[in-house]
Amino acid sequence: MTRPARRAAVAALSVTTAFALTACAGTSGSGGNTATKVDVSTTIPNDPVTLTLAYTNDPPTKALIDGFTQKHPNVTIKPQMTPFNDYIKSIKLAMSGDAAPDIAQYNPGAMNSLVPAGLILDLSPWSKAYGWTTKFPPASLEVLSSDKSAKQFGTGSLYAVPGGLSVLGVFYNKKIVKEAPKTLADFEAAMQKAKDAGQTPLSNGALQVGGFHLWNALLNVTGDVNDYRSWVYGKPGATIENPAALKATQTLTDWAKKGYISSGASATADPDALASFAKGKSAFLITGNWGASALETEMKDDVGFFLMPTPSGEPAKVASGASVAYAISSKSKNPNVAAAFLDYLSSPEAAKIEFEGGFMPVDTKAELGATGLRGDIASAFAPVAQGNGIVPFPDFASPGMIDKLTPGIQGLISGKMAPDAFLKSLQESWDGHHGS
Amino acid sequence: MARDLSPAVSPPRAAQARGGGRVTDGPAPPPRRPGRRARGWLYVLPAVAVYLGFAIWPALNTLRLSLLTWDGILPAEWAGLSNYVKIFRDSQLYEAILHSLALIIFFSVIPIGVGLLMTALLMGKVRRGMTFFRIVFFLPQVLPLVAVGITWRWLYSESGVVNQFLDLVGLGSITRAWLGDYGLALVALGLIGTWVMSGLCMMLFLAGAQKIDPSLYEAARLDGAGAFRQFRHVTVPGVRREITVAGVITTISALASFDLVFVTTNGGPAGQTNVPGLLVYRLAFNEGDIGGASALAVVLTVIVVAVVSAVRYFTRDDES
Repeated sequence: MTRPARRAAVAALSVTTAFALTACAGTSGSGGNTATKVDVSTTIPNDPVTLTLAYTNDPPTKALIDGFTQKHPNVTIKPQMTPFNDYIKSIKLAMSGDAAPDIAQYNPGAMNSLVPAGLILDLSPWSKAYGWTTKFPPASLEVLSSDKSAKQFGTGSLYAVPGGLSVLGVFYNKKIVKEAPKTLADFEAAMQKAKDAGQTPLSNGALQVGGFHLWNALLNVTGDVNDYRSWVYGKPGATIENPAALKATQTLTDWAKKGYISSGASATADPDALASFAKGKSAFLITGNWGASALETEMKDDVGFFLMPTPSGEPAKVASGASVAYAISSKSKNPNVAAAFLDYLSSPEAAKIEFEGGFMPVDTKAELGATGLRGDIASAFAPVAQGNGIVPFPDFASPGMIDKLTPGIQGLISGKMAPDAFLKSLQESWDGHHGS
Repeated sequence: MARDLSPAVSPPRAAQARGGGRVTDGPAPPPRRPGRRARGWLYVLPAVAVYLGFAIWPALNTLRLSLLTWDGILPAEWAGLSNYVKIFRDSQLYEAILHSLALIIFFSVIPIGVGLLMTALLMGKVRRGMTFFRIVFFLPQVLPLVAVGITWRWLYSESGVVNQFLDLVGLGSITRAWLGDYGLALVALGLIGTWVMSGLCMMLFLAGAQKIDPSLYEAARLDGAGAFRQFRHVTVPGVRREITVAGVITTISALASFDLVFVTTNGGPAGQTNVPGLLVYRLAFNEGDIGGASALAVVLTVIVVAVVSAVRYFTRDDES
């Protein structure tokens, strides 16, 4: 090294050190200000107001914005779309920045950091002013309420409200299965019949979320909903290592052994499983109502929907589901206008938009007049939602849970993992996040 | 800038810069060495800035983050070496490292073998269709790995082309969803890597073999060496440097593989194809544990550097 080169190297090093020091400032956090006093009001001013809304699910977001701004012409809402895979990363940065969007689509992964940082408004005052507890299904608000550390859900303050709900159930091909099974045993018999006829009983995308959605659907009918709820919401002392979960897990293992779930499921992505069911290659598909519009287009009247049947045959009271929900930034200058948008989500006009967007409406009593597949879904969903039976998916329980669920189910399907070991691995992730 | 550049490379001044004598007559300009040096740095500056900004700086930052507990939003806390302790206690890491070492066989060893074989077959024989062959074998390098991964996922699926072919040749009894098979998923994944990397190796070796002096082959022939011995004693030593380069590139892609695994198996079934890159991604983006992810990334870097140094050591040029 010549002397100037060495000098340059030293210079370069000091430049990087300077960089490193400024970066320290970067990681010191933004520590949002929660003390801001907001005058809660349910009326919005007549002056022009512009809000920005960050989202990843469309539909129904844009149609809901259009519906709201038509009602309030002085309000402009600028949509900012981010693809789902990048949403968690980008929304965390955007909400901590100076030009934070006023409204952000809720995402449990991102809220784990945003709520403790005080970057999301506590909506409780508006909830009281608007009477949201009666306008939205209670279960859908429970999921969106948490303590200040965003570790325990179903308690504490409300941080978002939903603008569309989804529900997990079973689609069936009417050409192969004449009638929706009424009991769990009927369901197994129908799968056995399809298998004997040389068909694939169940399409499943266990490469992604399909595997644990199947497990989750079984758990909904074998287990006690309160046990599951405590666990998924992170209530201290809750555990998934219970007899009901073991039974659900055992059932899934048996189905794999009997060939209802193929070993190829572990290498099948959810869209591929959906496509193979749509092409008539299998009798059943377990997924959410988000698959309905694609299946309707492809299969017309040959597809139906039912909730996972209970062992006793009484109608299912519990089903897993998620929501497209929206939260308000604590940096928003117009929180009252943003709250008015959230309130609009529960209106009958919004219900139509939500249903057309492929979601179940927040207003569970809304008259939808749906027929066919959507009619099936609506009539299965309404009693569960009204009976407060919608519960979150199990990956909600801790940030790393999905990386235990997906490989764990694959292990069960391939017979390499014992049911109790699977539950133990889930509980380890839970304990790691919530403390045992 | 552009105007400055052209005189600098014109012969007289270039010669002068190297300390050579003046070529043209006329009065000598005063020596301007320091100024020239400064200007030289000016030329290098854009590259240096890019390198510092996008390679050195992120690397140092990762090292710093690995010593913190940070979720990306809340204030970071000093964690010391606890992130590293946590990682080394996780048995998943050891499995993932073993998997990526196994992938070296498929991403590196086999492709280099295939590359050498293809070089031996194509060297000096095919003249006309050479460009065609090169394009065909190099194609996997041009395609985005995500597209490659999804395509192979379909090829390997239960009713995919691979199984259709096996059915056709009477091996219907062994068909399965290859990427979903507990024991064979890693091998199936590795073979995708073999397909991607073989073309690259062949291209490198063919380029290297073309600079071998034809008289060497002639001499070998006169000494009675057959095709195999010519290959063994002339071609292989002639492309030794290219083998090193290929070894380094393919080994890095095996150890740091992420995109291919992410879209084909995502570590499945049941963690049988987990690789360190995948664990880094999960820690950072699923669990929001930036500190742990950075620590794992640092460990991965150390492993890559160690293995690559070993590759370079074993394929070193003895003469130099």
